Amino acid sequence: MKGPLSYLQPGRNTKVSDQSETMSFIPGQPVTAVVQRIEIRKLRQGEHLILGFSIGGGIDQDPGQNPFSEDKSDKGIYVTRVTPEGPAEVAGLMMGDKVMQVNGWDMTMVTHDQARKRLTKKNEDVVRLLVTRKSLEQAVKHSMM
Amino acid sequence: MPMNRYADMEDKLRILEDLNMMYIRQIALSLQDSDIQKKIDHEIRMRDGACKLLAACSQRDQALEASKSLLTCNIRIMAYMSELQRMKEAQVMQRVALRSSDAGPTDDRLPCKGKVAISDLRIPLMWKDTEYFKNKGELHRCAVFCLLQVGAEIHDTDMVIVDRTLTDICFDNTIVFEASPGFELRVELYSCCSEEDYSAGSTHRKLASKLSSSLGRSAGKKLRVAMDPGACSPISNGGGATLLLPLPSVGPKYHLLAHTTLSLSHVQDSFRTHDLSISGNEECSHWVPLYGNVCCRLAAQPHCMTQQMISGCLKVKQFGGDPQSWTNVYGVLKGTNLFCYHRQEDIEANVEPAFTISINKKTRIRASEKDLHSKAQSICISNHYGGEEVTHTLSADSREDTHRWMEAFWQQFYDMSQWKQCCDDLMKIELPSPRKPTLVTSKQGSLYHEMVIDTSDDISTVTDILARRMQELELRSQLGTSPPWMSLFEESPGCPRTHNRLPHSPLRCPRPGLLSSEASLTSDSYSPCSTSPCSRHSGWAEPLSSPSSHFRPRTLSLDAKLSTLRGRGYGGVLQCSCQPPSSSSLAPIPAQRIPQATLSCSSSTSSNSSSEGSHSPELSNGTSFSRPSSARRSLRNLRAKLDPRNWLQSQV
Repeated sequence: MKGPLSYLQPGRNTKVSDQSETMSFIPGQPVTAVVQRIEIRKLRQGEHLILGFSIGGGIDQDPGQNPFSEDKSDKGIYVTRVTPEGPAEVAGLMMGDKVMQVNGWDMTMVTHDQARKRLTKKNEDVVRLLVTRKSLEQAVKHSMM
Repeated sequence: MPMNRYADMEDKLRILEDLNMMYIRQIALSLQDSDIQKKIDHEIRMRDGACKLLAACSQRDQALEASKSLLTCNIRIMAYMSELQRMKEAQVMQRVALRSSDAGPTDDRLPCKGKVAISDLRIPLMWKDTEYFKNKGELHRCAVFCLLQVGAEIHDTDMVIVDRTLTDICFDNTIVFEASPGFELRVELYSCCSEEDYSAGSTHRKLASKLSSSLGRSAGKKLRVAMDPGACSPISNGGGATLLLPLPSVGPKYHLLAHTTLSLSHVQDSFRTHDLSISGNEECSHWVPLYGNVCCRLAAQPHCMTQQMISGCLKVKQFGGDPQSWTNVYGVLKGTNLFCYHRQEDIEANVEPAFTISINKKTRIRASEKDLHSKAQSICISNHYGGEEVTHTLSADSREDTHRWMEAFWQQFYDMSQWKQCCDDLMKIELPSPRKPTLVTSKQGSLYHEMVIDTSDDISTVTDILARRMQELELRSQLGTSPPWMSLFEESPGCPRTHNRLPHSPLRCPRPGLLSSEASLTSDSYSPCSTSPCSRHSGWAEPLSSPSSHFRPRTLSLDAKLSTLRGRGYGGVLQCSCQPPSSSSLAPIPAQRIPQATLSCSSSTSSNSSSEGSHSPELSNGTSFSRPSSARRSLRNLRAKLDPRNWLQSQV
């Protein structure tokens, strides 16, 4: 994994440093996670720009029903489905990823609709996500041992 | 008239430029150093080319690249000039020393040189909230690049366009220098505003247009700064360089945004964060809000660790052993070890050495008294292994050889003391590959867009091509992420290796336009392996154990069909086209009927999911699913959205 980053403080501009620690999630406390940067170019389909994946979660949703989260109180935005050969899959997004940032905007403390809106802005044809997944954490832990 | 004065200035500057060029060439000639002279000539020619290109090009990104080359050439020329001056000074000092003849032969030991590599440069950004609200449709963009300098060696990274959607500026280049341990690696970040240029010539036009559409506060600030070019950054392009090598007045200009200097103490085998000194402030047009750090990996491989420092025949015995127990070996001093091979040929044959004596900071080496039986002095090497002290005695054939070995050991110790932490372990340096891998990040993303497979080829040709590609990519997949299609070649449980035989079974899964045999083959080989996304409709399945099997190889014929079908607006339907639930059995379907068949697939799956109740059907946000009835759909969506028991999913 080249250059994993870690990431602090949801809801504000993040300082990015190179230490990696276990992912913890306590609302109100700074979050540290090992993230991967994914750049997705939207695909034009008629008059729509699509990314090719589906999201679930949000602070207005019931986190217990999220099959991908480790911590069942995690109200973050998770990738629930990736369209095969869609722009998201091509860019390396995987099902089960938790989306931490979209184009610099925080996604750990947003409603479902806010998250959807941030991904589907019409004037942006590329979205840069910071996503985290368990395998990244493990890879970093192994490389540090 | 101001225009005439402007033209005069231009002429004068041009004359000054030519004179400077001549001056530089003269100095180079006078020193008769052909190496640097060639380099200077080369840079001057590049500089001329860049100037011409800058004057001629019309597109913004061409101009940015040309301006970057120009700046780099200027700085290189200045560096070579200072190198020449230093050499000239050294020459003069030597002559003086010889004449006065008081300096004896200088016995200064010089440390060995080494490779210093800097890679994975990343500069985090810190955008303010206000940046996001300036959503007038245009992003404020800047073009940035880095210059890395060690002595007279200057390398530039690629240029990156930065706008507020980026969280960091990343430079993927790996740059390797040859340096001595006292090196100073200067990292400089240059930036240039990438919007409409605020050069003097077009200001009045911009002013008129701005006035007609009321001047915003930030735009006004920028214009004010542009009118007054000196205010922003006193050191714009390497200070003195502008005097000797004036830049053309048109075209984008890069300014120094930040810099830092790294040295041996910053070398480590992992990523580290360093502070940046930032010049310039928010008012400048070339400003990019930096967080203030730069992260990079600075590694060093001193030559004493990678090269054989000395080798030759030796006789070795353990200290205190009986005088007959001398072993004849061929010794090679490399890194922190003295490898003793039985014979010289063993090295090429990759045979393990007979034994290895470690030579590190804790080793003690001394020349011992003349042994009764040997002609020359012997060398004693003492190490602590565990709690014990182990001493080996070496003896060379002649006095000169012994002296050579002692000299080599001293040099090795000196090098290790100079290179410090770099000699503890060998750091890995990844050499930059000559061509950039652009395969996986291409727009369409399929590896097979670049592979042309003739319809008359049979499947063995395909696997040959794949195997060749695999070998090529093996070199590049050092990151551990193998190309997605490699999963096809791995044994995955329950996935029969079907890609080596032609299928005769009917297609289990309709794919648009699949009547040619090889296209159907690839889908068939894929279908058993994937519990692909659509199966999730029927409840929450386990997340895929091998997520890489998402990616399925395609052939050109399939791509063509897909794109035509997409164009016809069936893109949304195609997403659902794989793995229908087992209840609907589908025989191979001719191409024309595919859309309807997949439509039934999608509606059946959505009806399945709505019967579950545990999650809502997918809400389409701008996909072109053709649903049965839009009124029913919107009502269903609203109910689903408002039902607190649901866990909403949205398609983006």
